[in-house]
Amino acid sequence: MPFDAMAEMSDEALLVLFANGDGAAARALNLRLTPRVMGHAYRLLGNHAEAEDVTQEAMLRLWKIAPEWRQDEAKVTTWLYRVVANLCIDLRRRARGVALESIPEPEDGRATAAEILQDAARAEALQEALDQLPDRQRQAVVLRHIEGLANPEIAEIMEITTEAVESLTARGKRALTAALSGRQEELGYGDER
Amino acid sequence: MAMSDRDDMSGLEVFFDAARAHAAEPSVALMARIEADAQAVAAQTPAPPRPRRASLSTQLYRLLGGWPAVTGLATAAMAGVWLGISLPEGMLDGANESAYLIDVAPELAFDLAGGNF
Repeated sequence: MPFDAMAEMSDEALLVLFANGDGAAARALNLRLTPRVMGHAYRLLGNHAEAEDVTQEAMLRLWKIAPEWRQDEAKVTTWLYRVVANLCIDLRRRARGVALESIPEPEDGRATAAEILQDAARAEALQEALDQLPDRQRQAVVLRHIEGLANPEIAEIMEITTEAVESLTARGKRALTAALSGRQEELGYGDER
Repeated sequence: MAMSDRDDMSGLEVFFDAARAHAAEPSVALMARIEADAQAVAAQTPAPPRPRRASLSTQLYRLLGGWPAVTGLATAAMAGVWLGISLPEGMLDGANESAYLIDVAPELAFDLAGGNF
């Protein structure tokens, strides 16, 4: 199947195509999913190199499970978020307290240098605060407020009830607010309230 | 986002916006490694078998209607063979051997044979 024709196809359909030997489907899935997986892994780990390792491992597991995938079973992204979270939790349990690595370069050319720095500083501050949260709170907050998923999907990913998701995100946000409150002036946060 | 979420966000949204704008991106090398992994896995996984075309005898078997029809045909064929090789008693007995010719349409036979002489 031509690569262009795959833009409209669902992740699940592309995965079945890959299982049937279509190399273009793997390319399309790689381009579509790897950035999301990488972004999520970084937010859970706060470490670029480890996030890359987790991303490669999660995608490898996706390629391997492809022949057994059933289109009506689950969303590929739901499955991936769960795999990424499990890999990240395992990694963090093995090696606690890894220092933050450099954050990626900002992309928006229209913003001024000061705005870019301030925005990057906020992202970095949030990441530092996220790193201090318990694993499950961090995962719930990231899925809800950065990835923008709905509570029922988060509940499916985390294999808990929606009420438990709400509880985790509420506690996580309270902890983030407390952690970031001391940095309002430094990050220009007070200007935008 | 639900109102309750917005109410207790307490200014966190500006940080979440910043985090979304500064998402970590995969390097070109990582994308290439993942692509290579996909090719390696595809090479190890045998392609699903193509459905084989049924043989001519199988197609005929299906065309006839499967085993019930084929069983009926076989029974009928065996009965025919049996009737052919065994002379039914009472049908032709030597003492009462007789034959009748009944012409049910003599005029038709005349027309066919006759024509205009």
